[in-house]
Amino acid sequence: MQIINYYINRQNEGGALLIFPFTAIVNQEEMKLSLILNVIDPSIGGVLIMGEKGTAKSTTVRALADLLPEMDTVNCRFNCAPQGPFCTDCLEKIQKGENLEIINKKMRVVELPLGITEDRVVGSLDIEEAIKKGEKRFSPGILAEANRNFLYVDEVNLLEDHIVDLLLDSAAMGINVVEREGVSFVHPARFILVGTMNPEEGELRPQLLDRFGLCVEVYSIKDKLLRVEILRRKAEYDRDPRSFIEKWLPEQRQLAQKIMRAKETLKKIEIDDDIISKIVDITAELNLDGHRADIVMLKAAKAHAALNERDRITTEDIRKVAPLCLRHRLKRLPFEDISQESERLKEVLSRI
Amino acid sequence: MDFLEFVDHEKAKLALILNLIEPKCGGLLLIGPKGTGKSTLLKAFKSIVKAFHVPFIELPLNATEEALLGGIDIEKSVKDGKKIFQRGIISRANNGFLVIEDINLFPLQLLSLVFEAQSRSEIVIEREGFALRELSSFQILATMNSEEGELSSHFLDRFGLCVAMNTIIDKDLREDIIKVNIRRDSKNISQEELIQKIRKSKEIIKSVKVSDYVQNLISEQILKEAVESHRADIFLYHTSRAYAAFLSEGTVREQHIKDMIPFVTFHRKRYILPQEEREQNERHEDKSGENKEENFENSKRNENRGKSHESSNFSTDNIESQEFQTFKRQEVFSIGQAFKVKRFFFKRDRIKRQKSGSRTKTKTKGRGGRYIRSIFSKTPEIALDATLRAAAPFQKIRGRKDRVVILEEDLRYKEKERKMGLNVIFLVDGSGSMGVRQRMIEVKGAILSLLIDSYHKRDRVAMIVFRKDKAETVLPLTSSVELAMKRLREIPTGGKTPLTKGLFEAFKFIRRLKLKEPHARFLLFILTDGKANVSISGKPIFEEIKMVCNFLRQLTLTDIVVIDTEKKTNIIKMDLALRLARMLNSDYVLMDELKTDSITKLVNLYKNSQESGHININ
Ligand SMILES: [Zn+2]
Repeated sequence: MQIINYYINRQNEGGALLIFPFTAIVNQEEMKLSLILNVIDPSIGGVLIMGEKGTAKSTTVRALADLLPEMDTVNCRFNCAPQGPFCTDCLEKIQKGENLEIINKKMRVVELPLGITEDRVVGSLDIEEAIKKGEKRFSPGILAEANRNFLYVDEVNLLEDHIVDLLLDSAAMGINVVEREGVSFVHPARFILVGTMNPEEGELRPQLLDRFGLCVEVYSIKDKLLRVEILRRKAEYDRDPRSFIEKWLPEQRQLAQKIMRAKETLKKIEIDDDIISKIVDITAELNLDGHRADIVMLKAAKAHAALNERDRITTEDIRKVAPLCLRHRLKRLPFEDISQESERLKEVLSRI
Repeated sequence: MDFLEFVDHEKAKLALILNLIEPKCGGLLLIGPKGTGKSTLLKAFKSIVKAFHVPFIELPLNATEEALLGGIDIEKSVKDGKKIFQRGIISRANNGFLVIEDINLFPLQLLSLVFEAQSRSEIVIEREGFALRELSSFQILATMNSEEGELSSHFLDRFGLCVAMNTIIDKDLREDIIKVNIRRDSKNISQEELIQKIRKSKEIIKSVKVSDYVQNLISEQILKEAVESHRADIFLYHTSRAYAAFLSEGTVREQHIKDMIPFVTFHRKRYILPQEEREQNERHEDKSGENKEENFENSKRNENRGKSHESSNFSTDNIESQEFQTFKRQEVFSIGQAFKVKRFFFKRDRIKRQKSGSRTKTKTKGRGGRYIRSIFSKTPEIALDATLRAAAPFQKIRGRKDRVVILEEDLRYKEKERKMGLNVIFLVDGSGSMGVRQRMIEVKGAILSLLIDSYHKRDRVAMIVFRKDKAETVLPLTSSVELAMKRLREIPTGGKTPLTKGLFEAFKFIRRLKLKEPHARFLLFILTDGKANVSISGKPIFEEIKMVCNFLRQLTLTDIVVIDTEKKTNIIKMDLALRLARMLNSDYVLMDELKTDSITKLVNLYKNSQESGHININ
């Protein structure tokens, strides 16, 4: 698909969008941590952010993408990773013995527009190509754009059911297989799904809740000093965004390096049987069914250990990530009072 | 009319000026009943804005998404066989104002797109296989008449400033005031002078200082006002700076903050307070009586009063002045055991719905709704994308020269889906008689069961409670069962039974929503024992109820179910709720029969009544 950057009006000189630095975002530690864990290991399965309005949800996601360094990418329409998996185009090239050109690209936040159609999610036939050359070429959709990026879905609870299903299915498979209008095409679709919802505006079906890897709740900050700090930074940024970004650059770099190192460390982390049995004990004691919770908890704990530059998962890692992994699974009905379960979780965690 | 000639709207005028001085003030929402000059004021403001060469673009109520965001020019595209873009309304409002009159009447989806573009500072257009992005920055100036529906707090929070306009001024009187005002006010400046002043302020603001002390004060004051959204802090910051600049001052002082607080907090306060709190507030308001303009609750009440004047034959004035002897006892009962509820169906929509399978979704044939996929069978709208794709591969064969050759066989149509939330409204009798033998616990249990049922079907719910001398909406329409549970828990019991008021409130509630969503469907559950004992018009209660029931019966796409909460024993059995059901020509269920053990019975009852469409309640 052709994306036309139509920056005819420039309220920011240079025409680029300036972004508030991730490290300058005050508090909201759980949200930040769960996003970082997903960057370290995208197979954790995304984050559902539940929270009130005005709590900087999308700002935070965009800021994290902005913080991360450029990544090596095949110069194709699908951001294929140099080590694969590859799209149909790349596979053809490989078969012909051609070299894949590698370029650097920044991770992006692809937002799912409201009212999107199925065609635009999965992709469809390229009209222009077909008209001009009579060739059947695939025109990528949002899933292609989202490959190796963040896919941000605001108010996921208000989205049409069949679109949500489409997204979650491809998120789980990591691949998009298209067979329509006479085109067949396969491309990787590995993205970090970030959904937001305001529970006061509507619920999400429990079966969808369960498919998000992590879940965090964000609240507006009621502590005066923190709030003053938020305002101070935002005001400073609004006055002169460029200088502000400049000022935070060292911290930004430091965190970026830490995350990139963790991605490397992740491969070397060993998993003790003891850790696995601890995780299984937790989910068993809380009567959580399905293996999803166990797997997510193991992955998240591993990513957390990597972030803290350890080569082993500790009980501390489990304690830290368990609430993120289990919060939305404890809740079977939206109006169910889960304070009891939360207490039990705390109690179980203190015992391990 | 000249902007400066507006009297009594100083706050609104100031808010507009501040937005012109500093775009980071975040726009303005004007709330008020009809006749307060909201839109005239905006039109007058336009002449000021013009002087600054700032766009001032109005969003028409019938704007399509295409018109809003821009997109491909269909005609040209088909003609030339390549995509030709057309700028949308938002693009044209860039670095200026987007004006949305009667914002609460706009379709939610369209508003979402507007606010999405605003928060991203970027428009991303995804249309029929094309994508386009454009930087965008604009302020929204909106008006709303809250009699005609609410705006969700989610949207309210996006507005930097908000001002209530309550003073309805008679036209002649207004002209008099203007004359007097102009003569009296020697300082009255001309429009040209005002423009100069704003121009100067735009310069001054660049160097306006905010001390740490004042900055701390901003967050402190916002928290004190019990406003949670962090957006309030930053809007107060920018607005106070603009205000200081307008006053030609180089630093923001404490007083500036205090003056600006109402502008940023007014619409961010939670106005759905729990019962107890609200009653306290009301008492407090009655005493103070001032600050009317700044008080949302108050303005809402005033509007409601105005509303009942124009829309009903009842005069509620004498009622409200009357003192009722009420039960002193007021209790809040817990929620009883939930149980599974039999399914309620729409009589008038049964066939269509069975096709689509779910009660909350309806494939729509009209132009509304969301385009989900293209199909072969004919609908009113051609799916251009799919049609072009179908025709595209054959262009060479068909010998295309400069136009795309589209044959009948290529045509594809849009299948659309509208989220047809069923709106479930609970009208709950909270009077003293419901407290007898803790009947309210069971009533709450029944509502909970119905709520769970609604949750599974993704309906929206609202709750109206009538007791003592009034009926009030304790839960505006929401799809949050969580919020509904909270409100349900808080419903107090005690006092007399103003059944007529309750019924009338339900009628007004539904009719108001119908203005906004003409195709919406309603299911009204009335939970009462029917023992009305407060007349609102002075007429016999029975007559009164009959009148309101006639109103309710005339509502289209609305089903009513009376749930009789009377504890039936062999000795006491008044069956007043049954009488109500007859007057409403509605369905009638005993509360005790809602429970699981009798579901089968009820379902059968409904099945048998399918031909006649009604349960025989006699
Ligand atoms: Zn590729």
